[in-house]
Amino acid sequence: MAHVSVSRLESLLESAQLLHASLDLDNLLKHLLRTVMGRLLVTRAVIAIDAGDGPRVAMSRGVAEATLGQPFDEARATALGLRHHLPIGVPAVGLLATASPARPTVDEEERAFLEALLGIAATGISNANAHAQATRLNRDLDRKIQELRTLMELGRAFSRVNEVEEVARIFGLTVAGQWMVTRYAITVCRDGLGTVSRQQGVKLPPLATYQEAMHRLPDAALVADLEDSELRALFEAHKLCAVFSLRSGEQVCGFAALGPRPGGQSYTPADLELGAGMAAQAVVAFDNCWYFREVLDKKQYEKELAVAASIQQGLFPAALPSLSGFDVAAMNRPAQQVGGDYYDVLTLTDGDDEACLFCVADVSGKGLAASLLMSTIQATLRALLGREASLAELACRANELLFATTPGSKYATAALVLAHPHTGECRYVSGGHTESLLLRADGQRVWLGATGVPLGLFPGMVWEEVALTLREGDVLVLYSDGVSEAQTESFDEFGSERLADIVERERHRPATAITTALLDAIDEFVEGAPQFDDITLMVIKRI
Amino acid sequence: MPHPFKVHRTAEGDVSVLHLEGFLDAHTAPAFEQAIQAELDASRSRIVVDGEKLTYISSAGLGVFMGFIEQIREQGGDLKICGLTPKVRQIFEILGFQAIYDMVDSVPDAVQRFVTSPTREA
Repeated sequence: MAHVSVSRLESLLESAQLLHASLDLDNLLKHLLRTVMGRLLVTRAVIAIDAGDGPRVAMSRGVAEATLGQPFDEARATALGLRHHLPIGVPAVGLLATASPARPTVDEEERAFLEALLGIAATGISNANAHAQATRLNRDLDRKIQELRTLMELGRAFSRVNEVEEVARIFGLTVAGQWMVTRYAITVCRDGLGTVSRQQGVKLPPLATYQEAMHRLPDAALVADLEDSELRALFEAHKLCAVFSLRSGEQVCGFAALGPRPGGQSYTPADLELGAGMAAQAVVAFDNCWYFREVLDKKQYEKELAVAASIQQGLFPAALPSLSGFDVAAMNRPAQQVGGDYYDVLTLTDGDDEACLFCVADVSGKGLAASLLMSTIQATLRALLGREASLAELACRANELLFATTPGSKYATAALVLAHPHTGECRYVSGGHTESLLLRADGQRVWLGATGVPLGLFPGMVWEEVALTLREGDVLVLYSDGVSEAQTESFDEFGSERLADIVERERHRPATAITTALLDAIDEFVEGAPQFDDITLMVIKRI
Repeated sequence: MPHPFKVHRTAEGDVSVLHLEGFLDAHTAPAFEQAIQAELDASRSRIVVDGEKLTYISSAGLGVFMGFIEQIREQGGDLKICGLTPKVRQIFEILGFQAIYDMVDSVPDAVQRFVTSPTREA
């Protein structure tokens, strides 16, 4: 370095103190520019700093054309009158370009001073840059930690809720806070369980209008980058800028779409990545809620079914009436929790003679619907009994009432026997029911078939009545098709002849014993195969 | 065990001050939402949120601020934030809240800010 006077050394020392006192690059560059422009008497100067990709304009004075951050172009700078280019430090961290000094002469000592000043400034700039970079890295790290915390918070919050709406609420609040958005839409749907949508500051059309297109959503994307023009137009029309699909397995079950960030900030690739992570967590939470709801619904259904079963069991007579001249037994074993078979023994006075109605019915279908119809039949028969002139008319009236009160697909087959215990005289009507067995005391098997169509199927139908007399030792067996059609695993059917054989073999035993023997025989026959249909048996023995 | 969240209201003239205490996250956010909604229902849109005793805020808690700010400003009011501890303030700043919210040191500063800047544009 050339000789530098004391006054310049003092100035240099002062600058060195200032340049090293602050890690603020802006202040540092301002001081450098002020000093150089003051000493050289120039009115136009630019400082360009090399950030690894060539010098870029970092500060300028008197040069309106120099835009901050733009690459420094030597030719253009020269054209703007910045002819003097001085490197800042060795090796150079940038350069200082000035117009020609107005000062008449710049002596060797002044040049040495400037060189020393720029050298000191280079150290300061390097320090400030390193500090800025460390600050930037710290900020990025803080942000990453915050993002990680958000993901953890979200997971923890989701784990404590079991309502789909609550998951959507938490998800919405979190995205709003994370990206400072005031507009967002979160929509999720599940077959059979409906759609949940939470929208803030936006009102999207019904999901059904674009549900098909929703399945083409990528995991995360800027709306402007969406390939699907329908979805892009939809989201753009509602000023939504980023979208994340909610993907359960291979299937898109919803999305979260976010409005603009404040200050014109865009969603960075890191933001999209974070959003996709949050969406993935939300999907798990949504799935858990749906599953939880299904389990609850199922439990509720089972509970209701148990109540229905107990009500239905109450519909069967607790004890059969004692009838002189008859030994009667009946049983029912439903295939499901609630069944569609029904039996009853109702007594009435028919003129001076006591009479009773035996009934075995089988309602179409299974489960709750069948059990409801079964209770209707019971109520109908009980209400009509004794009011109709004949059994055939009772069937007609019951048919009309059932037809009027049940859907067209619902009906019941029924075997009805109106009996006079003192004489054994009976009237028999069968509405499409399985043929009943009348086993005469002499062993003759009489099969009593249908005398009309099932009840409740068509209006205006009539039924024939069959007259028969039960004599001592005769056994009449009414049963549902769950008996004759009881199956083994290999689909062999129990059959009505096997039933008749057992009745014949057990005919001398009480009705209850015959019933039990039949049921045991069925169980033995099917060898543990599941029971597909309700089993109902009624054994009426003339004694 | 997180500090339970509480919010209670005082008034400084026509400015409502909501004092937050404890842990503001997804589960406690509804209490804060209700408090702000009550102010809006009563047509009080000059609101200061005092976070001096706020020990933590999650993104979901921050989401509450975003959910009301447009409505508050449409009504000619604003929501100023004050008294945050450095730890909590850092969370606000990392996400850039200082760009759209006035964030000052104390309740009196926040109330005074309503004189100089009644509604700040986002």
